[in-house]
Amino acid sequence: MKYKIIRLLDVAGMNCFEPVVRLCYGEEPRQQVRKIGLFIVAPVVVFALFIGAWAAIAPFIKTKAGSLPSPVDVAGSLVDVYEFHWREYAKKADFARTGDDRDTTLALVTQQLADATERKAVVEAELAELTATLDAETAATLKKYEEAIENQTLVYHASQFEREQELHKLGDKLEVSQDEPREQYVASVREHQTLSARESTHLKELRSDLAAIRKSTTPQFAALLREKNDLDQETQFLDKRASLLSDGNRRSNVASAALTLKNADAALAAAAPGQRYDATLDYLGAEERVLSSAGAIYAKPPTFFDQVFTSIECVFVGFLFATAIAIPIGVLCGLNKVIMASLSPLISLFKPVSPIVWLPIVFIVVGGFIERPDEAWVKPAFLSSAITVALCSLWPTLVNTALGVASIDKDHLNVARVLRLSMWDRLTKIVIPSALPLIFTGLRISLGVGWMVLIAAELLSSSPGLGKFVWDMFNNGSSDTFSQMLLTVFVVGVVGLLLDRIMIVFQRLVSFDGGATAL
Amino acid sequence: MIRNANIPGDDENRPPVLELQDVTVSFGMGAEAYVVLDEACLKVEENEFVVVIGYSGSGKSTLISTLAGLTTPTRGAALYRGEPMPAPGPDRGIVFQNYSLLPWLTVVGNIDLAVKRLRRDLTGTARRDYVQKYIDMVSLSGSEKKYPSELSGGMRQRLSLARTLSMQPEVLLLDEPLSALDALTRSVLQDEIIRLWEEDRRTVVMVTNDVDEAVLMADRIVPLTPGPGAKLGREFDVTLPRPRDRTTLNFDPDYKHLRNEATRYMLQLSADKKTRTETRRFTLPDLEPANFGA
Repeated sequence: MKYKIIRLLDVAGMNCFEPVVRLCYGEEPRQQVRKIGLFIVAPVVVFALFIGAWAAIAPFIKTKAGSLPSPVDVAGSLVDVYEFHWREYAKKADFARTGDDRDTTLALVTQQLADATERKAVVEAELAELTATLDAETAATLKKYEEAIENQTLVYHASQFEREQELHKLGDKLEVSQDEPREQYVASVREHQTLSARESTHLKELRSDLAAIRKSTTPQFAALLREKNDLDQETQFLDKRASLLSDGNRRSNVASAALTLKNADAALAAAAPGQRYDATLDYLGAEERVLSSAGAIYAKPPTFFDQVFTSIECVFVGFLFATAIAIPIGVLCGLNKVIMASLSPLISLFKPVSPIVWLPIVFIVVGGFIERPDEAWVKPAFLSSAITVALCSLWPTLVNTALGVASIDKDHLNVARVLRLSMWDRLTKIVIPSALPLIFTGLRISLGVGWMVLIAAELLSSSPGLGKFVWDMFNNGSSDTFSQMLLTVFVVGVVGLLLDRIMIVFQRLVSFDGGATAL
Repeated sequence: MIRNANIPGDDENRPPVLELQDVTVSFGMGAEAYVVLDEACLKVEENEFVVVIGYSGSGKSTLISTLAGLTTPTRGAALYRGEPMPAPGPDRGIVFQNYSLLPWLTVVGNIDLAVKRLRRDLTGTARRDYVQKYIDMVSLSGSEKKYPSELSGGMRQRLSLARTLSMQPEVLLLDEPLSALDALTRSVLQDEIIRLWEEDRRTVVMVTNDVDEAVLMADRIVPLTPGPGAKLGREFDVTLPRPRDRTTLNFDPDYKHLRNEATRYMLQLSADKKTRTETRRFTLPDLEPANFGA
């Protein structure tokens, strides 16, 4: 059992937990504790240090969208995106609910809405009270401060005016033709200017202090405000749900459309001779609406998790394209020196081309094939991103496949010769199995490259996905969206890590030499 | 199918199974050409157990792969039953020096690869039984599901032997099958190969670097002079009666005589080779290192 678990961990590429398993079975505890310290505690400590350093530095990095979000903000934004996600799915479900299900849900939602509204009223009252007391407290301070600034401004203005008058007088009396007095005069005017500049800077500083005092809030106030915002959102959400469960429900829409149809039919039946054509048109329009409302679904905006899913889908489509191209070409290159020699300039030429260059070209070409993007079963932006991913990520697989096939053990080929295997058998029974570990090494690198390329491609092509999500957040430019962008960094990292782990598992499964895999 | 040993009088009508006529094998071109075999001549008769003995690097593997048809002679001719050597095939089964097992296949898979290709008449259980027969033959029963990396050196060589035997070759070519094994495993496998050969006297050409092994197993020993440019030397016929028992053989005067003679001959070859190379030695200039210290 112990060795089974260890083998499983090895295949899954999670060797770091091996000492834990061994410790549970009481195998050389000192040794295992040392290993746990090395492979688990040390990385965790370093991660904690990183989070700590980030939290310490974040408040000092000021931007237009507020200061850099702290780890706590980013964790909060994960909660936010999750909330948005499940709310949108709840609304979508509500829109399609029918019968008793709809009635019970409606009752529940109405109840929740009433609760939330009540709580909101309480919070609003508290907030108003707190605002009043805070205002009263700060008002006195503010008033004093404002007066002080006012006085200071007057003093500075007066002294500036005085100095100017003085300089004018001096200027009038000045013997301009003589060098020494002239230079003296210039120096004193310069001094006056420096002094005035310093005074106005001081005033500005005082005013910004004032603004800071005005904006400053107590933690209690901030907490209340946040609670009020949350409740606002919740009531809004529940309100929408209630409407989707009653008037806005699909069944209601269909019913009202059916009623219109019935009326139109009646109108047509009673129509005077001159109006029959128009009445028929109305009838047909009503019929159309019944059909469309019956098939309607709630127009849900894509949530963060939808975007993650779309991105993964896109990278896999691209990865499949890349694999389908790279493996056959790689095998051909490995088998035949002539093909290898003739293709290697092309491979070397295209390998370093950046996704940013491929994307617009692919976009135009794909656009040329898909004439009506709205009706196409696959979105051109999605397809372009996938093809760009393929173009950038096929090279590692191609090169590794070629290497794997070319470096096949000569003795294995001799076995094939002695057995007089056909070309196909030689390929499937000897060449490909022998090259498989290297092919999978290539595939693993390709998937990693593809995932990196994809985010850039999505960002440029506005194809739905994480790249587009980041771009939208960037254009929004509030502090919430800033922390969601940082959240994306971690999500991209985690998904990339998982993809890599999956490939490691495959690589381990096909490797027959039991060789170690790089991290 | 047990074939009779040499039928007297029949030999002259039939061409030898394998024949090398002044075979020269060299790699590379022009002045850089490396001559491995130089005008080697060899005849192997039906049902004969021929052992080619030579130093490492003397071109033994090249000789075997020429006999298998894997290497084409640069000059001279390799004949199979009097005909020019055809492309390599299962009728000349070869056991490679480094086993040449497919590491992604199990014991069964490695043998089945050959069986599936060569015995298309067998299906389902019949084929499984056929594969099992050869696994049992080399005493690998119980390791059917193991991969080559999980087998010891001796077991790998047995598997390689079983795979080749399952092709039912007319000629068995063994390329130093035992030289990578420890002494004990080696003697066990020697007995095993002899046992298999006696069951079903095929023509065998085995290559080795061990004189004792050669005397124990062979009908005829053919020494190979040290390379490059190896030639086949004076042949020794081994007329010791079979079955030969290694424990009693040590006291047999004929055995001792043959063994000593073969060993002396091999050492002589090596000495000749050394004198040959010594004449080509560079004379170093008579230089003293400069004395920097003083």
